[in-house]
Order: sequence, then C-alpha cells, then structure tokens
Amino acid sequence: MTPPRRRLDAPTDLRPGDHVCWTFSGAAGLAAAVLPYLDEGRRLGEQLLLVGRSRPALEEAVSALPGRADLLAGGQLVVRTTDEAYAAARGEDPAAQVEVYRREVEQALDRGRTGLRVAADATGLAGGGAAEHRRWHRYERLADELMGAVPMTALCLYDAALGRDVLGPLALLHPGGHRGAREPLVHLSGRGPRLSLHGEVDVTQVDDLVRALVDVAGAAPGEGYPPEGSRRDGPRRDGPRREVVLDLSDLDFLDVAGARGLVTAGRRLAEAGTGLRLVGARRLVRRCLELFDGGVPVEPA
Amino acid sequence: MTEVRPTGDWDGGGLAHEAFAFRTDRELTDRVVPFVLEGFSRGEPVLLVAGERVRTLVAEELGADVCRLARVAAAESWWQGGHRTLHAYARDLRALRATVPNWRLAAEPVWLARDDGREWSRFEAVANHCFTAMPYYSLCLHDRQLLPAPVLDAVERTHPLTWGGTAPVPTPAYDDPRCFLRSAQPAMGEQPASAGTVPVTTPREARRAVAAAVADWWPARLGDVVPAVHELVVNALRVAAFAEVSCWTEAGTLVVQVADAGPGLPDETLGYVPPADEPRSSRGMWLAWSLADDAALDSGPAGTTIRLFFRR
Repeated sequence: MTPPRRRLDAPTDLRPGDHVCWTFSGAAGLAAAVLPYLDEGRRLGEQLLLVGRSRPALEEAVSALPGRADLLAGGQLVVRTTDEAYAAARGEDPAAQVEVYRREVEQALDRGRTGLRVAADATGLAGGGAAEHRRWHRYERLADELMGAVPMTALCLYDAALGRDVLGPLALLHPGGHRGAREPLVHLSGRGPRLSLHGEVDVTQVDDLVRALVDVAGAAPGEGYPPEGSRRDGPRRDGPRREVVLDLSDLDFLDVAGARGLVTAGRRLAEAGTGLRLVGARRLVRRCLELFDGGVPVEPA
Repeated sequence: MTEVRPTGDWDGGGLAHEAFAFRTDRELTDRVVPFVLEGFSRGEPVLLVAGERVRTLVAEELGADVCRLARVAAAESWWQGGHRTLHAYARDLRALRATVPNWRLAAEPVWLARDDGREWSRFEAVANHCFTAMPYYSLCLHDRQLLPAPVLDAVERTHPLTWGGTAPVPTPAYDDPRCFLRSAQPAMGEQPASAGTVPVTTPREARRAVAAAVADWWPARLGDVVPAVHELVVNALRVAAFAEVSCWTEAGTLVVQVADAGPGLPDETLGYVPPADEPRSSRGMWLAWSLADDAALDSGPAGTTIRLFFRR
C-alpha cells in the first residue's frame, strides 16, 4: 500500500518507509533540515547515514547535533561523501545502488539498530543532461520501492539552485515533501506490483509527470528496442516489446492537459518499445482520457 | 419542366448543410428520394439516420434499392445529450473521411422535439464552422408536425442552405454561429449581491474554493462542477494574472462564474466544437460545457466572463 502523499512543515515525524524530497539553500539550510531529522533517528535507535558533497561541510552541518561525538565514535552516525556512497549509482544500472542500501539496512539491523535513516544531499547526482536525469529518476523510483519493503527512512536533499525543471519530476517520485505552493500535487509510486498515481494531475505540473513517467516506465538499457538499423527485422512491427501498467485508482483529479500528458507519455514510450496500459480510472479521469481519440485505452483496475 | 438538382452546385469538396422542413409524406419523399438516387448514381455512400416515419417512407419509395443505402439507422437511439452525440458523430465523420472521398447524409434529429434536445441547434450552428472541410452533403430533415415554432426558427438560423423547390438555395435567416450562440444562451444578468467571489492565481486554489462552495450546496455534483470550473480557470490564467470565481444559486440552479481581464476569447464557439484528432487542439471548453447543464459567455477586449449552470 502506498500511503497518501505527506506534506511536511519540517523533516520530522518520519518513520521507516518515509521517503522525503527536501530542497534547501546554502549550508545553513542544509544543517537546518538535517539536524532535527538525524536527532529524531538517534532517539529512535536508528542507524544514521549522512551523505553529501564534502566531508568537512557535512561535519560542520551536524556540529550542533546532540551527542555528535559519541554517535560518530560508536558508529551510529556515519558520514560519507557522495562519491563514496553513490559509486554504484554512476553505473548504468540504478538497481545496483539500491542493493547497496538494502545491505546497509541488513547490517544496521544486525547491529541492533531499529532501521536505517539516510540524509543524502544528492544535488550533484541529479544534475547533468537528459540521460543523467533519466538514470536518477529510475534510481529514485527503485529506492522508493525499497523503502516500502525494508525499515529505511530517507531525506533526499536537493539544492534549490537545481531549478524547477530538475526538481519538479524528482519531487513527484517521493511520497513526501515540503508543504507549500511548489509541492507536487501527485505522487508517482513504484511501490506495489505496478506503477500508480496518487493525488491530482493538472496543467501546472503535467510536464514534470510526463518526464518522470517516461523515464521510470521506459525500458532499462538493453531491455527495449535495439538501436535503429541494428537488426534487419526489428521488433517494431509487432508492437511494443514490454508493457507497463499504470494504476489510476487513487488519482483524484485529472484535467484535459493531464490527460494529454498521459497520452503523450504513452506515445513516447510506445516509440521506444514500451506499451503503457492505464487501469482503474475513475469517472472524471476516464472522461478526460476519452477526449483523446486513439489515446491510451483504459481498463478497470 | 425544370430539372431538379438535389444537391445544386455541391462538388463534393466540403460540407453542404441544408435544412428541409416537411409536413406531408409527399413533401418528404420528393426531396429525399432524388437526393438518395443522385448519390447512388454518383457512387457516393448514402446514409440515412431518421425517425421511424421517415425511414419507412423512404424505404417504401426506394423498394429494392433500399439495400444500396450504406447505412440506415434509427435516430431515436442516437441522442445521448448534445456533447456525447456530437462527439460520436464527429468520430463517425472522421472514419468516413478516412475511407471514402465524399458521401451524403439524410438525417432527422428527432430529439429536437424533446426539451433536453433543443440545445442541439447550438451544435448545428457550430458544425458549419468545425466540419467545413468534411466532404459531405448533410440534408437535415425536420417534421413540422413534431417541432414547435421556436425550434423551426432555430433550424433556419443554423443551416446555410434551404430547399428552393428545384435546388438548394441560401437561407435568408441564416445566422453566423457566434451570433446564434449569443442569442441562444441564457441571459447574462447582473451577478447577485449575495454571490461569493474569490480571486485565484492558480487552478488549484480555484478547485479548493469551488469544492468548498459545492459541498454546501449539492455534493453529488462536485465531480462535474470542480473539473468544469478548473478548465475555465486554466484558460483565464493563460491570458490574465488572476481570475475571479463566483458562485450563487438561482431557483435551485448553481451558477459558477469565471471572469478574467484578458483580451477576449479568440473563438467563442469552442464549448460546442468536438475534440479534433490532433491532441494539441483545445478541449477545455468542450469538457466544461459538457459537464454543465448550460453555459453563457460574454467576451470582448476588456475581458471574458463565463457562467456555467448546474441543476440539482
């Protein structure tokens, strides 16, 4: 089950399974988010892992954390640079990075901790071009799925300077985030047997959704069509090679622009060898989708 | 004797839209049968969608040739409300255009006799614009015994062609679709002083405000009012920094008004134009109009005001 999207005033009151996207500005902003978050984990007996660009900056950020020296000495708080912690994420397969965290959770439990609580400044991993964005969107989706299955809590920190284009799709891949005007209206979840949308999709955020959806539903490298011309009888004629189901049962609102976005995403995915199957649309959602002839057929959930 | 030319100068290249009103059986068959036979002789698919009386009369006259009609359908079962009926019709037209160069249709919109079917005249008016490239002759049949005078007036004003005795001729009373819609819509009276008005700068605010107002009135229609108003606000915010959303009730009907100070609507008829193939074409007004029971608008260089009416 995917919990309803959480809108937070502060990155606290979090428990295993929570996966929060948090934007910050400057070192003070980072420290203000990380301190209460890690202190809560300390009180809950969780293994704490803080990841960021430079070790000195991270140590500075937690300088006011109660019991900091003991936490570090006893190994309950571990500080790592992004390069150390996310070496696997730079490879082609974001699943490898998720496996790293799965093992970290197991080790934390073996050491008698109640779970793993990660605060990671992933700013440096989220930037780049379309290919980097795609890899990171796929990673966030898989990480979210992991958090639905093991006692792990994560605060994904992103510098606000990344801008709306980068942060928009990332935010809606997290089930939690800031309360406010910029909060995502929808959550694209990979927890459960199929992708699902929770909340509302309207014109103001549909572009973010289309990018995130095409990235996470698309074929992994090697899984889709072979490159054009690499094989004489490519599979394109036989339709998509694989199919992804998107469950709309928990989508409370969809507008015309949102329906157009889902149709666009379906077409882009089909061009790359993935069929997108929409299921479970409620009355209004279905009505909007029906305005697009030849769009994606909708089935009961 | 003058030669009868059932489609006049129509060359099959675009839409011809004629209204023919009849009283006697003979009036009907004298118009429809030559129209059908000319279609057969030109190799055009001929479609007949009509009420039982018209279908029976035409079938009797055609005899064995009736099986040459590409389609015969009972109009009684076609009506699903204006928007759904026209959407299905537009799909049929596109399917035909994909398979044949041109065709002709004799259609009797029998639902004009129903109270809830009168809005069809607005769709007839707009069809003159939005189906102009469809290569077919639409001969619309109207039974004077069934239709009241105001409906027959609206028929004249929404069909550019009428029957001249030997060939179709321009209808003197034909009205521009925009003018027709303005005259057919509910009057735009003053907003009552009791109306609550909220300025909004995002569609989400508008949804929250309207949902709160409707929950106090008639929650069962929440699912119609909220998306309809949302689409109007989205349009308003494309051309203005903010929109004003107002709600009030008039004799059991909820009125929701969306006003903006933008430059005016480029096309006032879009609430009656069915979605095109092209996914980028607009659909917001079509959806809003289809969710509401009625709609009225006022638009000019000083701004646009749209009212949607929802009944309990």
